[in-house]
Amino acid sequence: MSQAQDYDSDDGMDGFMDNFTKHKYKGAFNESNWEEEFDKVPMFMKTAPEEIDPKKHPELACLQSIIHDDDRPPEEQAKALKDEGNEYFKEKNYKKAIVSYTEGLKKKCQDSDLHAILFTNRAAAHFHLGNMRSALNDALAAKKLKPDHLKALTRGAQCCIELCNFSEALQWCEEGLKVQPKDQKLQELRAAADKFKRTAERDARKAKVKEKKERVQRDSLLRAIKERGIKLLKPDKPIRHGSDDEDEHESMTKAMAEFELDGLSCQEATGFKVHLDDQGFLHWPVLFLYPEYGQTDFISSFNECDRFVDHLAVMFGEELPPWDVDRKYHPQNLQLYFDDEKGELLQFDPEMSLLKVLKNDRCFVKDGTPSFIVLVKGSAFCKMFLSGKTVHQLK
Amino acid sequence: MLSDTEAKELLSFLTLETRPDVKGQATEYILGLTGTRDGCRYLQSKPDFIKALLTLTSDPSVAIVKDCYHALINLSADETLHQVLVKDANILPSLFHNLLDPTYMFSDRICTILTNLSRHEKTCKNVFRVLQEEGIGLPKIVEVLCTEDYNKKASLHYLGPLLSNLTQLPETRQFVLDRERCVVQRLLPYTQYEASTVKRGGIVGTLRNCCFDYANHEWLLSDAVDILPFLLLPLAGPEELSEEENEGLPVDLQYLPEDKTREEDPDIRKMLIETLLLLTATRVGRQILKRKNVYPIMREFHKCEKEPQVISACEKLVQVLISDEPDTGMENLMELDIPEDIELKFRDMDAKEEEQIGKEALMRAEADKNNLEVPRS
Repeated sequence: MSQAQDYDSDDGMDGFMDNFTKHKYKGAFNESNWEEEFDKVPMFMKTAPEEIDPKKHPELACLQSIIHDDDRPPEEQAKALKDEGNEYFKEKNYKKAIVSYTEGLKKKCQDSDLHAILFTNRAAAHFHLGNMRSALNDALAAKKLKPDHLKALTRGAQCCIELCNFSEALQWCEEGLKVQPKDQKLQELRAAADKFKRTAERDARKAKVKEKKERVQRDSLLRAIKERGIKLLKPDKPIRHGSDDEDEHESMTKAMAEFELDGLSCQEATGFKVHLDDQGFLHWPVLFLYPEYGQTDFISSFNECDRFVDHLAVMFGEELPPWDVDRKYHPQNLQLYFDDEKGELLQFDPEMSLLKVLKNDRCFVKDGTPSFIVLVKGSAFCKMFLSGKTVHQLK
Repeated sequence: MLSDTEAKELLSFLTLETRPDVKGQATEYILGLTGTRDGCRYLQSKPDFIKALLTLTSDPSVAIVKDCYHALINLSADETLHQVLVKDANILPSLFHNLLDPTYMFSDRICTILTNLSRHEKTCKNVFRVLQEEGIGLPKIVEVLCTEDYNKKASLHYLGPLLSNLTQLPETRQFVLDRERCVVQRLLPYTQYEASTVKRGGIVGTLRNCCFDYANHEWLLSDAVDILPFLLLPLAGPEELSEEENEGLPVDLQYLPEDKTREEDPDIRKMLIETLLLLTATRVGRQILKRKNVYPIMREFHKCEKEPQVISACEKLVQVLISDEPDTGMENLMELDIPEDIELKFRDMDAKEEEQIGKEALMRAEADKNNLEVPRS
């Protein structure tokens, strides 16, 4: 423009500029949503939208239809979709790749080679996403169309290995090696699958041996308990002495098994359970109860041959427990009782062994842990505790 | 034997066009001839008869075809007839092609003939050559061997000994031991193939022959092939080994179940031990076998073994496993100079063994001819 016009347009400009301030520009981007709007313009899209609605994105739909022109023969369309999928695959955009391949497969073109490749490529995409089953299915479909498609056979073998289906993996490798006997990848896969398979078989054998050993140990433990005539109490009802009677044996064994299955609940509480040592002696977890002060002591492994006095000497011999405020729980003052939970007590001499006490008719083991009550001879609490209860003596 | 006119007349009856009853009688007569040594020798000079037999294997009558194959089996059991069978009558191409037909019901008989023909090196070379010329090749044979139920009407177990015989030739061993392919690895599981002693024996024989080439020992013992467990498993029993001994074993031999049984055929047991012994030829081989606890397996094996020949083989192996390393210069036992008298002894032993196997084949052929039930296990 010439200078003269500039001068003139300045005035005009003012008027022109005025319009801007007064009237809003139609179709302008809004400050709050301009990024969104930007994304809708195909040129500025950072990512393609999942679905292209021609109404919302007419320009994009237009572009897509150029790629996916439905007037072209299916083979061409399928090939274009395959290429599109491959592009996404290269970008590691496996989900999009799968979409493209799937579209390609829908075209149902007559070219079985192309079809097989679409399946194989989709299998690869699934594989990289960790969808082993889908990948395997696709490899299988590819194989059906083209039994000698090496990539499909290799992929199938890989999927089977990931799924720990080693026998099947070996079959895929065999087929592949028939097609291409010198294929290094297949040979490696085969060797790997074989190794995994044989290791898995060994692990199964090892587990079986371990299970058997545990079963044998369990059986001998239960037998030992039964032989001693020790009664195990299920939560519901006590069991009678084991005898030679078939039925009783049955119920005893069953009860023993249930005893096992109950998980020997003490195990959860204390982590200890009765066991048989190398010399054939039972060791029990034993609970001592001090009702006077609401205290307990737990012996994790009380040999059945041990005498109570010996344990009491250790527990109370040197130092008295802090809760014994009267300082009266000396070993020689202590009395031991078994509570049959029906209001009757069995008192026994602490000089006796655990086994002797447990064998007694009135005794039973509840929750896998024999427990005994400790009172101080002649104490006020003792008198009160014993009043109204029948006390039997174990000789 | 027959006069010239009689022979001519008989030959004229041995055509596909002949009346069935006459045809049948003629083939029966030939079969009878093949049952005797003199008969076989007579037929050696009459290749036309053998050609006729081959033609008649396409006969519609199953009975006639059976007789023809029996006759051919008998003939093939006699080494002096090999040349006339293979060269003059040229039976190999047709045999091979029928063998590969998955529906052919006489394939087992073909296998037996081929096994007989490949027994001795000379004809074995012919068999191998024709196998190549007919475009079949070893890969196909191995493939068929490894395909269970390839042929629903024939077991094809004799492909095992056939392959074993073929490994007399370096070309076959080379193929089996080809590192770029997967051949020997596919054969290994068959050392425990319960369905057939014949096939199992053939595979073990194949492996043993392949172990004569000590250059491959390290590869065979490596993870790429891992031959050791497959040789040891048939020799391992249910006896419990200590935890320590177990952990040192190859994976396949750990924690074997209580019902594990050993290989029941003493010859196969012996071959397995011989193969292991071959693998101790190099220092590396010995080290690997020692490290993988082969000794405890053989120790338990020795306690249970009763056959003297097998015991002695076992003792030889154990001796190597528990001895110290030999002096320098003697590390590779295969490169030692063996004194001639000892070498002759070995050859003699081998020859005796082969004769034994040949006898067995002949016995089977005879039994077949008489339609006796010979257990095919």
